[in-house]
Amino acid sequence: MQSALDPAGGDASRIYWLTMTMTVGGILIFLSVTSLLLYAIFAPPERRAWLGSRRTIIYGGLAFPIITLSALLPYGLIVMRDSDVPKAGALPIEVIGEQYWWRVRYPADGDRVAFSTANEIIVPVGRPIAVSVTAADVIHSFWIPNFGGKIDMIPGRINRLNFTAERPGIYRGVCAEFCGDQHARMAFDVIALEPAAFETWRTEQAKPAQDPEVPLLARGRELFRAGGCGSCHAVRGTEANGQFGPDLTHVGSRRTIGAGQFPNNIGTLAGWIANTQHIKPGVRMPSYGSLTGEDLRALAGYLESLR
Amino acid sequence: MSGRRTGQVLLMLAGLIAWAVQFTVIYGVTSTLCGRGWADATLFGFGIVPATIVSATLITFAATAVAVIWSIKSHRQNAKRPAATTDGFMSHVAILINGLSLVVILWHGISALILPACA
Repeated sequence: MQSALDPAGGDASRIYWLTMTMTVGGILIFLSVTSLLLYAIFAPPERRAWLGSRRTIIYGGLAFPIITLSALLPYGLIVMRDSDVPKAGALPIEVIGEQYWWRVRYPADGDRVAFSTANEIIVPVGRPIAVSVTAADVIHSFWIPNFGGKIDMIPGRINRLNFTAERPGIYRGVCAEFCGDQHARMAFDVIALEPAAFETWRTEQAKPAQDPEVPLLARGRELFRAGGCGSCHAVRGTEANGQFGPDLTHVGSRRTIGAGQFPNNIGTLAGWIANTQHIKPGVRMPSYGSLTGEDLRALAGYLESLR
Repeated sequence: MSGRRTGQVLLMLAGLIAWAVQFTVIYGVTSTLCGRGWADATLFGFGIVPATIVSATLITFAATAVAVIWSIKSHRQNAKRPAATTDGFMSHVAILINGLSLVVILWHGISALILPACA
């Protein structure tokens, strides 16, 4: 579960401490004012008289707020200044929000080729990340609470967000702008890996899909081809080159399907294919409920084998 | 309005006028330099943007401090006169407005100095 209270990056940590300072300070001030209010109501007149004195009003009503706000203002501004700062050598990642999933692109970087994935952002620990975001249809908002603030994804406009993962782990990101019926089911994973593991992952992701060796999976691939899945989905290394839906070249290696809805396994893949409109009504992919159980197993098995 | 009353009104508004001047100078200079791509320009080794912010803040702060001192003097003089209700009220308000303007000018200067000029 995503949480802004478990910061895993510098920006999130700064925002966390600013929030804590203001929350705790606000609670203490609220309790103090409430106590004074009750005292003013219930204390005997001779004991509460000091509350109405000129000195109390000047110190409590003028000096205290000015001093408190004078401390909070530069603190908040410094947090704002030091957050979301572009850094040299950052890893560029492009994320496009679509109803109701996330297209993730890793541009070519030196001798490393570009590739696309979906609903999952893998980042190396310790290296700054520069995320460029936009949207393909309606306004979305990209938010990984563990790493910092959110940023709007607006069609036709590219916004940028910078963060650095400071510890390995699996974090959850969400769409933070209502974008349609399935807005609440538009999540993604951010997996922070050690640099060497990230490089291995990147190398694997850049490879085309492997041909299935098991007859059942080969049948699944044939069903994928004959069913026209490739007109919407791409599987690099095959004739499937659709760009409408998520790239499925390595779909089997992802943690979840349906933009964070289910763990990724052959059962959930089969359920998704057979009944998308029941699981996530309104998604662009139609339900393929007419497939036989055996065909469904073959097709889901093929997809699950794309690692 | 008599000359004395005009002077009282001006004294009462001095802090707000100084704040407006600071605001106009800081944003005018900063946005012009940013718009022309000269945000990092220097003069005698000092960045023009931070130098403008600091000098505009110091000058308007000093002017407002003088207004506060005048307001306090005026209030003390009015307090000695038995039937100067309006004068006393105006000088009292002048102290408050000019005092708060000091705080606002400082807050504004600090904010402009901390945040990136052209963000």
